[in-house]
Amino acid sequence: MNCCNSYPFRPVSLYTKTPTCMPLHIDVGETQADLSDVFPDGECEEEKSGDFYNTPASPITVPYCPRPPSTGSQKSPRARRQRTTSINQSSKKTSAESMIRTPHRTIYTAGRPPWYNTAGQQVEPFVIGICGGSASGKTTVAAKIIEYLGVPWVTLLSMDSFYKVLNEKQHEQSARNEYNFDHPDAFDFELLRETLERLKEGRKVEVPIYNFLTHSRETRTKTMYGANVIIFEGILTFYNQEVLNLLDMKIFVDTDPDVRLARRLRRDISQRGRDLEGVLKQYTSMVQPSFNHYIAPLMAHADIIVPRGGENEVAIQLIVQHVHRQLQLRGFKLREELAQTQNYVGEPRPNTVRLLPTSPQVRGLHTFIRNKDTPRDEFIFYSKRLIRLVIEYTLSLMNFTERTVETPQGVSYKGKRMGTNKICGVSILRAGETMEQAFSDVCKDIRIGKILIQTNFNTGEPELFYLRLPKDIKDYKVILMDATVATGAAAMMAIRVLLDHDVAESNILIVSLLMAESGVHSIAYAFPEVQIVTTAIDPEINDKFYVLPGIGNFGDRYFGTEPSDEC
Amino acid sequence: MGSSDIQIVTNVDYSNLESISKNIKLLPGNDQIKELQTILRDKNTTRNDFKFYADRLIRLVIEESLNQLPFTDCKVVTPTGATYHGLKYRSGNCGVSIVRSGEAMEQGLRDCCRSIRIGKILVESDVDTHEARVVYARFPEDIAKRQVLLMYPIMSTGNTVTQAVKVLKEHGVKEDCIILSNLFCTPAAVQIVTDSFPKMKILTSEVHPVAPNHFGQKYFGTD
Repeated sequence: MNCCNSYPFRPVSLYTKTPTCMPLHIDVGETQADLSDVFPDGECEEEKSGDFYNTPASPITVPYCPRPPSTGSQKSPRARRQRTTSINQSSKKTSAESMIRTPHRTIYTAGRPPWYNTAGQQVEPFVIGICGGSASGKTTVAAKIIEYLGVPWVTLLSMDSFYKVLNEKQHEQSARNEYNFDHPDAFDFELLRETLERLKEGRKVEVPIYNFLTHSRETRTKTMYGANVIIFEGILTFYNQEVLNLLDMKIFVDTDPDVRLARRLRRDISQRGRDLEGVLKQYTSMVQPSFNHYIAPLMAHADIIVPRGGENEVAIQLIVQHVHRQLQLRGFKLREELAQTQNYVGEPRPNTVRLLPTSPQVRGLHTFIRNKDTPRDEFIFYSKRLIRLVIEYTLSLMNFTERTVETPQGVSYKGKRMGTNKICGVSILRAGETMEQAFSDVCKDIRIGKILIQTNFNTGEPELFYLRLPKDIKDYKVILMDATVATGAAAMMAIRVLLDHDVAESNILIVSLLMAESGVHSIAYAFPEVQIVTTAIDPEINDKFYVLPGIGNFGDRYFGTEPSDEC
Repeated sequence: MGSSDIQIVTNVDYSNLESISKNIKLLPGNDQIKELQTILRDKNTTRNDFKFYADRLIRLVIEESLNQLPFTDCKVVTPTGATYHGLKYRSGNCGVSIVRSGEAMEQGLRDCCRSIRIGKILVESDVDTHEARVVYARFPEDIAKRQVLLMYPIMSTGNTVTQAVKVLKEHGVKEDCIILSNLFCTPAAVQIVTDSFPKMKILTSEVHPVAPNHFGQKYFGTD
C-alpha cells in the first residue's frame, strides 16, 4: 500500500514471467512473522514499508483494513495522501519475489499479462469467496492462497470495508458493546455487490475505507484496479444471493468455536487493551448467536470447507492447484496471435487512421532516425522534431468551434477555437515518455498520466507494471503516446486500461511515430472508435516483433540503453 | 506536397492566388492552425499567450518552409537490418531575418536546424516618404551559393520584403534560391512581391486583406 511513489526505475534488461519457478518461501521466518500480524493496526504495516526493496508497484492489492468489531484502542488510519494509483504495494513477500537481482541486472517479474483477447474483450477475473466465523483464520487462509498462488495481480477485498455508517444511537450502543457488528444488517450489501460486480468486470473501483473510531466512511477511498484473482473475505460473504452468484469458488473456513474464542480473547485483550468482561459479553450476546444463526448455515453454499483454517496446508494447496488450472484456461497469448493475424492483407486501411501528410521533411526526419548509424545526439534531435509535428497534427483532430474575435486593427476576424480544454496525455513507458515534452510544449499546463508496460522476455507478451492517471480521467480527451506500435499489443493494453477507468472509447487517440500495418488493423478491429495517429506505417513485423524496416528499439536508442553488442 | 501547387484552405476565397503566381504556397491548413491564427489576431490575447502561440505557428511555418528546400533520394539501413528509402537535404542553406519582427522567427529555425547560419537585414521606412531603405545587412560570406530562407512574419505592403530581396540579389543570391517564410500577408503585398520577383517562393499561413500589424510590437512587448 505504500511507497509506490518513491521507487526509482532501474535499468531493465531482462524480464521473466514465471513467478512460479521462483522459491515461494524466500524467508519462512519472515512470512510467519507477517502472518502473525494479520490484524495490523495500520501503522506497523506502514513502518515495515521501509524494508521494501525498491520494486515497481507490486501488483497485489491488499486494502488497508483495520479489524472491525472490537473498538477499544483502535487507531484511526493515519491520514494518507489520496492517490489515484491503481496498483499498490503491500505484501512484502510478493515484492521481494517480483524482483530478482543478479550482479549485472535486475529482473522484474510482476507485470500483468493481457486480460483481454484480440477483440479487446476481457476475461473475468477469478473470484474466490472466503467465509467463516470471527477469528476463524479467514485472513490467514487468504494470505496463504495469495502466497502459494504466486500470481501477481491479486486483489483482496474485505467485507470490513462495507460496514454501514452508524447513527448516533447506534454509536452509543457500540460504545457499550451492544451494537451487533456480526449481524447481516450491519453491512451495506448493495454497495458491496456493486463494487464486486465492477471489479469482476475489470473496472476501476473506489472501495470505502471504514473508520472504526467514528463508525463512518472516510472521505478518501481505496482505489482497486486490475485483478486476475479477487479474494473476497468476510464473515457473511455467502449471505447475499446476488453476491454469492459472483463467486467462482466458495471456501468456508471452519474453526473450532473454542479456538476462535481463545483467539478473540487474546487479540482483544492483549492487542487492543480491552477487558475480559466486555469481550465475553460481546461474544456471548452477539458474536456467538450471530454465528449460529447466520454464519454457520452458510456452510451449505461452500464448494470447499477448510477445517482448522490457515494451518490446513493440504486444503490450501488443493485450492491453489484448482485456481492455477482455471487461470491457465483463461490465459491469452495475445502478441503471438496478433503477429500471426494476417487477415488485414488487402483490407482497406481503417478509417480511424490519421496519417501525418508525408512531406519531404517528414521523410527526411525518418531517414535520420531510421538510420542505424545515426548518433544518439542526432537521433534525439530529429525524433523531437518529428514528435512535435505529430503532436501538432494530433491537436488539429480535436473538436473546434467557430469564434469571431476583435482585432487591434478594428475589424473582426472569423476564426476557430478548440471546443474543449479537457485534454490530457498518457504516455506508455518507456518510449512514450519521449513524447511528453513536445506535448507540454504545445499545451500549457497539460496533465500527463503514465502507464508502464514492458514486454515479458520469455513469452514476448506485454505486461502491465504500473499506472498513474489523472484522477478524473474519464472526463478527458486522452492522447495516448507511444513511440512505436508493432503488433499493437502494448497499445491495446493501455487502451484497455483507459476503458477500465471509464474513458469513452471515442475520446482516446493513440499517437505514435511509427506503426506496423498489422498493429493498426489489430487496434482498429478491437477498438473501432479509437483514433490512430502516426507519421508512417510500415508493412511488416519480424519475429522479434520489431517493425520492418522500422526504427529498431526506439526507447533503447533514445535513452542509450542498447545492449552492448549493438553500441 | 513537395510540389509548388497552391493549397488554399482558409475560409476566405483566394483562388486567384494561382493566377498571381505558382510560387506562393499556403501552409496546409487545419482547425488547429486556424486556432493559432485566431489567438494571434484576438486583441484580448495576453502577451504571454501571444508569444507562446506565435512561437507554435512559427515552428509550423518553418517546418513547412524547409519542405521547399531541394533534396535527393537516399537509402539507409535500419537497426533491424532492413533498408529504408529516405531522402537527404542538401547542405548549403542559410536563414536571413529582417529586423525586427523577422528575428522572432530565428528561434523557430534554430530549433529545426541547430547550426544553420543566419544573416540579418535592417530595413527602415523613411519618415517623410514612407519609402523603405536598407540601413544594415550582414550575411554569411558565401551566401551567393546558398539557398536562403528569408524570414519576415507580417507583410502588408510588401515594401520591406522588396528592399530585402534586392539586397540579397545584390549579394549574388539567385532569385529562385530565395524562400520567403511568412505568417500573415495581404493580397496586395503578394501581388507586389511576386510581380517584382516571380521566381521567389513564398510560404505563408494566411492571406487576408487585413494584416495583424501589431505582431512585432506585441511579440517583443514594445506596445
